[in-house]
Amino acid sequence: MNLKRVAAIASKEWREILRDRLFFSLAFVVPALLMVLFGYGLSLDVENIPFAVVDQDRSAASRDYAYRFIDSRYFSFRGYAANQRDAERALAAGDVRVVLVIPPRFGQRLAQGREAGIQTLVDGTFPSRAMTTKGYVTAINAAFSLASVTQAVSRVTGMPPDDVAAQLTPIALETRYLYNQSVTSIWSLAPKLIMVILMLSPPFLTALGVVREKENGSIFNIYASNVSRGEFLAGKLLPYVAISSVNILVLWLLATLLYGVPFKGSLLFFLPATLVYVLCTTGIGLLVSVLVRTQVAAMIVTMVATMIPAVLYSGLIIPIVSLGPGARQVAELMPAMYYTDIVVGCFLKGVGLQSLWRPLLVLSLYACLLFAVGYALFSKRPKT
Amino acid sequence: MNDEIVIRATDFGKRYARHAAVCGLDLAVRKGELYGLIGPDGAGKSSLMKAVAGVLAFEEGRLEVFGLPVGSEREAERVKGRLGLMPQGLGQNLYGDLSIEENVDFFARLRQVPAAEAAARKERLLAITRLAAFRARPMKQLSGGMKQKLGLVCTLIHAPDLIILDEPTTGVDPVSRRDFWAILAELIADQGLTALVSTAYMDEASRFTRMSLLHEGRVLAEGAPQDILALAPGVLVQCRVEPQLEAISRLAADFPQCEAMGPDIRLFAAGLDEAGARAAVAQRLAGLPCQRLDVMEPELEDVFVAMLSRQGAAAATAQPVSAAVANAEGLAIEARGLSKCFGEFIAVGDVSFQVRQGEIFGLLGANGAGKTTAIKMLTGILPPTRGEGRVAGADMKQAGALIKSRIGYMSQAFSLYLDLTVAENIRLYAGIYGLDRRRRDSRLGWILDMAGLHGHENDLASSLPMGLRQRLALGCALVHEPRVLFLDEPTSGVDPLGRRAFWDILFRLSRVDGVAMLVTTHYMSEAEHCDHLALMFAGKVVADASPEAMKQEVIAEAGQLYRLQADNAAALVRPLQEHGFANVSPYGAALHVLTREPERLRKTLAGMGVPADLRERPIAMEDVFVHRVSQLEAASRKGQP
Amino acid sequence: MSDFLLWWRLALRRFAVMLVKELKQLGRDRVLLAFIVYAFTADIFLAASGVSLSLNHAAMLVQDMDRTPQSRELAARFAEPHFQQGGVVTRDAQGLAALDRGEAMIVLSVPPDFGKHLQKGEPVAVAMQVDTTNSVLGFLATSYAQEIVARFGLESAMRRLGLAGGAAAELPQAANEVRVWYNPNQEDSWFMGISEMLNIATVFAVLLPAAAMVREKERGTVEQLIVSPLTPFGILFPKVVSMTGVILCGVALSLFLVLMPVFAIPAKGSLALFFALSGLYVFTTAGLGLFAATIARNLAQAGMLSILILAPMLFLSGAWTPPEAMPAWLRGLMFVSPLHYYLDIAFGILLKGQGVTELLPAIMGMTAIGVGVFAFGLLLFRRQFD
Repeated sequence: MNLKRVAAIASKEWREILRDRLFFSLAFVVPALLMVLFGYGLSLDVENIPFAVVDQDRSAASRDYAYRFIDSRYFSFRGYAANQRDAERALAAGDVRVVLVIPPRFGQRLAQGREAGIQTLVDGTFPSRAMTTKGYVTAINAAFSLASVTQAVSRVTGMPPDDVAAQLTPIALETRYLYNQSVTSIWSLAPKLIMVILMLSPPFLTALGVVREKENGSIFNIYASNVSRGEFLAGKLLPYVAISSVNILVLWLLATLLYGVPFKGSLLFFLPATLVYVLCTTGIGLLVSVLVRTQVAAMIVTMVATMIPAVLYSGLIIPIVSLGPGARQVAELMPAMYYTDIVVGCFLKGVGLQSLWRPLLVLSLYACLLFAVGYALFSKRPKT
Repeated sequence: MNDEIVIRATDFGKRYARHAAVCGLDLAVRKGELYGLIGPDGAGKSSLMKAVAGVLAFEEGRLEVFGLPVGSEREAERVKGRLGLMPQGLGQNLYGDLSIEENVDFFARLRQVPAAEAAARKERLLAITRLAAFRARPMKQLSGGMKQKLGLVCTLIHAPDLIILDEPTTGVDPVSRRDFWAILAELIADQGLTALVSTAYMDEASRFTRMSLLHEGRVLAEGAPQDILALAPGVLVQCRVEPQLEAISRLAADFPQCEAMGPDIRLFAAGLDEAGARAAVAQRLAGLPCQRLDVMEPELEDVFVAMLSRQGAAAATAQPVSAAVANAEGLAIEARGLSKCFGEFIAVGDVSFQVRQGEIFGLLGANGAGKTTAIKMLTGILPPTRGEGRVAGADMKQAGALIKSRIGYMSQAFSLYLDLTVAENIRLYAGIYGLDRRRRDSRLGWILDMAGLHGHENDLASSLPMGLRQRLALGCALVHEPRVLFLDEPTSGVDPLGRRAFWDILFRLSRVDGVAMLVTTHYMSEAEHCDHLALMFAGKVVADASPEAMKQEVIAEAGQLYRLQADNAAALVRPLQEHGFANVSPYGAALHVLTREPERLRKTLAGMGVPADLRERPIAMEDVFVHRVSQLEAASRKGQP
Repeated sequence: MSDFLLWWRLALRRFAVMLVKELKQLGRDRVLLAFIVYAFTADIFLAASGVSLSLNHAAMLVQDMDRTPQSRELAARFAEPHFQQGGVVTRDAQGLAALDRGEAMIVLSVPPDFGKHLQKGEPVAVAMQVDTTNSVLGFLATSYAQEIVARFGLESAMRRLGLAGGAAAELPQAANEVRVWYNPNQEDSWFMGISEMLNIATVFAVLLPAAAMVREKERGTVEQLIVSPLTPFGILFPKVVSMTGVILCGVALSLFLVLMPVFAIPAKGSLALFFALSGLYVFTTAGLGLFAATIARNLAQAGMLSILILAPMLFLSGAWTPPEAMPAWLRGLMFVSPLHYYLDIAFGILLKGQGVTELLPAIMGMTAIGVGVFAFGLLLFRRQFD
């Protein structure tokens, strides 16, 4: 490999990118914009869930029960519904996501010291939201039940209600949230967004760049000269890796400054590891570019091929351990999941090479493999 | 001459998915030769050149470059350092956003030329090509001629031993073309390099040391230009007879290669000498008054056509058509003070002309003179900055479907759908112009006949060679039998046979169907066919007359035309100019001199001790163009030193 | 009258040939075609099968410093399907290391003398460390744990107090039966599959016309069309119609080949209505692609611009983030994202079995925005040639 030739190709490519002002600015604007947009727009927190109540009992107990929901910051009360039909219609229309149905004789049963049933209808279209909602409902219901039992026990035993309450909850659960003490989702999200964006943007830039040269014919200069395949690929990809490297810094700054995510690890480990990841995703772009002939195809193939692995099989939304066995295998075949370990480890856990050498090694091998395949498939003497 | 073989092909063959591009081809190029490849479109020239350059895999036979086989990618790599390739297409291998200098520097660095050497060579090459003054200009803003010169500089920057140029002058105007060849000749002589060049211009072919005439993937003839000329002996006759129509129909019976050129008739008398030809023509024309009759040496183009006709290729059948303009009523195209500015740059400035129905109007000019911009304004693609362009009395910008369905347009770049087949392209345009099924099918057949595309109906347009693509594009522009045609360099890259067939069609359309045409071309022999010409220079129309009037004007101004044949004629340009013969320009391997003092010219040559063959020839549009444009360029250089 | 008929005949013929041309061009690009098929089948399959946002098998370690029957019983209550016991640890550091490495999500520490305190009715604290890198799962784990601990505490207290034999059923408490509608088993695959299908349709709806248009500009074929009697609308309309057709085929492919047979998505409503509205959505969204094509000078630019348009659309659709959870300014923006309405429509028809009457507001919203977007794209396209 002759470095001067690599430099010649790289500087030519760099100039061309630079002259295409719109493309050049978009190469930086798009990743930053995605970071801001996803950061604000992708929130898994569920609050202010709109709900309605069908109170068929109209007792003090039923009102008390409903009030516990109305008071909660997780729910947003949209009124009492006259009957279950109306409430169901509102649920169907998406006006409310939860309907609380309190049956007749709810208060009476409780007063008799018996269990009283209640029905909650949850809109399950968005399963994660439904799941969280169920959690909230269970918690509020448990609090109500405890109060109700406490009252009953206090009536039977004559003990003061406070003592009864203490007796009935002998165990306190002291929860310590690790890595993300305030459980704000942006802290866990922002580092992973770096992973997603660096999965989407470098292959896109790379594939377009290489295929453009193929499509307009200037690739013949390379074919006809004694530049080796390796020199050409290295020189061609270098500017795109450089752009992505700048984007690494931009994204890191956005995460730490805009979102205030703590960075507990070492930049000296984080930056080189991220560069390896960028090389890896650039390799995906390279692979696409040797396989397709037109820029249109390059664009669409990279976009669709990277989006799903980056979002779903990376640990962005679902931790890898929670994936099904099949899905887990898919995830293990993609580079994203390994980098997720690295980025989360660096930001939130403050761990370094000792804990993360394994994913780093996998990423390095991955990058080598992609480049090797791209190199093997690229021919300076094509058949047509 | 050195006998070392630089390129040797033995039983070489290249197949594409469906058809064989080249088969059983043998070829040997010696060191220091300027070796030419000529032949009709699709003869396999480009495939051969790419294979030699090691950028195309091939299946059959053996190919050696510098004595090394290039049968695999690894083998090809070994010779790439010593060769340079300039692929087909204007500026195709250059980088549009980079400046001239950046392009050259990139190639130098890519080829690892030591910095000092690269700088020196760059300065020299830029000086020779006169590009030095524009070194900071982005490539995409250069004219076609400049792009090709830059391409040559970039190909030569690493001082290769072998250069491969695929149709380097296609789409380049005559003045730039001569310039290009002069530069190439100088460089080859200077550096002792070997060149493999293809061209569609037969006058250029006379410059080759040796050449191969390729046809359907095989070598039809090989040798030096005079050897090739000798293969089809005969003479060229140019005469002016009234009535032309009658004369052509009589002559065509004996001489298949007979065509009208403005008011003249030009024919190739195969197998005859001068006396024989005069006698044969006189016999045929018995009774018709002959105003003028010149007998000349045939050009390579005539031989090319003759040889291919023997191969059964469809030669132009000079169909007698009425010379009179049919129903010459009304203005078809009118430009009134048309101007277009791109920022500060005036692409077209105050251009006016008129084209009557049934007239063929030629718009001539060097690359970048503003021809294409003018056409785009007339067809409504670009809005004019000032002035107006009318077609059939309507402004195209506001024209409705009715007017639009009466015009046909063929743009400079091949702009059909490459991923559709020939028949699909034709059907598409038939449908766009609202032809019904019956008419569509009849037009489809007509276009396939006209363009010689039978057998290619189901080929993708992308798989067609350049020349066939152009014919398909013309066919698509004609599918709806338009009343007004705009043709922007329609024959660029088309071989001589194709061009003749093409112009035959245009001629008939104008004369029989009364179609009005606006044509631009860089083939000056085609300009002769026009009824009326406008010459554009730097966005302005500088001359507007019939070809004959333009010629007479030049003769009145600079004298008659003489062709000077001599060894290394190009070297005589400067000495002759110093002796006061201002209008000397290279033509192929010869010189064309416009002068009123032929005797002094003879004496001067004798005084210089040059054994030269000097003959008077009828002036051609090519000479007019070169004379006028060189004059204007010189004037504008003086205007802004 | 006959003029009118003639005009229509011509217009139809032009439309037909342009449509055929677009379809053939698409059909010739084998790589692209293969990829469209991949996106609508394998990609959606991957999306639908890979993801589950419920707390399943959360890996949990127990640090039992008490080792009494009570402590063992408490630990045992953290069971499948939500939790998965991953073993025991003896030291704090061990647990922390496992959390660091991502091998465990939860570490439960039961203090010494836990059983003793419980027996005596003295308050006792159990510590739990949760990895909340994923905040939703962190929240769910905590809330499940709280429920388990509370119930265990209540039962043992009742037993100790000799009340009701510790059987919770006889206590005056509320038993809330939560019924999840439209997706009773809370199949994430339903949600993920459908929303991925809509996303893919959106991506193609923007990209395909943008790419096709820029390609015509780059090749110069658009000049040939402008000179012809075709109007700008006549150029665009067949293009968009053919792309819409292709995308609808893709949607059908994923619905009938992947979502319904593999993931048992019920498709409760009228499929005809679903396809009709999908067609409307894809068609109008193409306007955004035309917008990108108009501004861009080359394909690379068009691609970047498309991402710039697509990313907000996808993320403001409400599929990922409920409108309720968004900041007010983003929530406002959501209502201009046509995908937001399309999402409501698709889920409404496929999962809820809704018809035109229920979906009227969404249909109106989508139509209004879509027509606006398309008109805008058409206007820009016209204007670039003036």
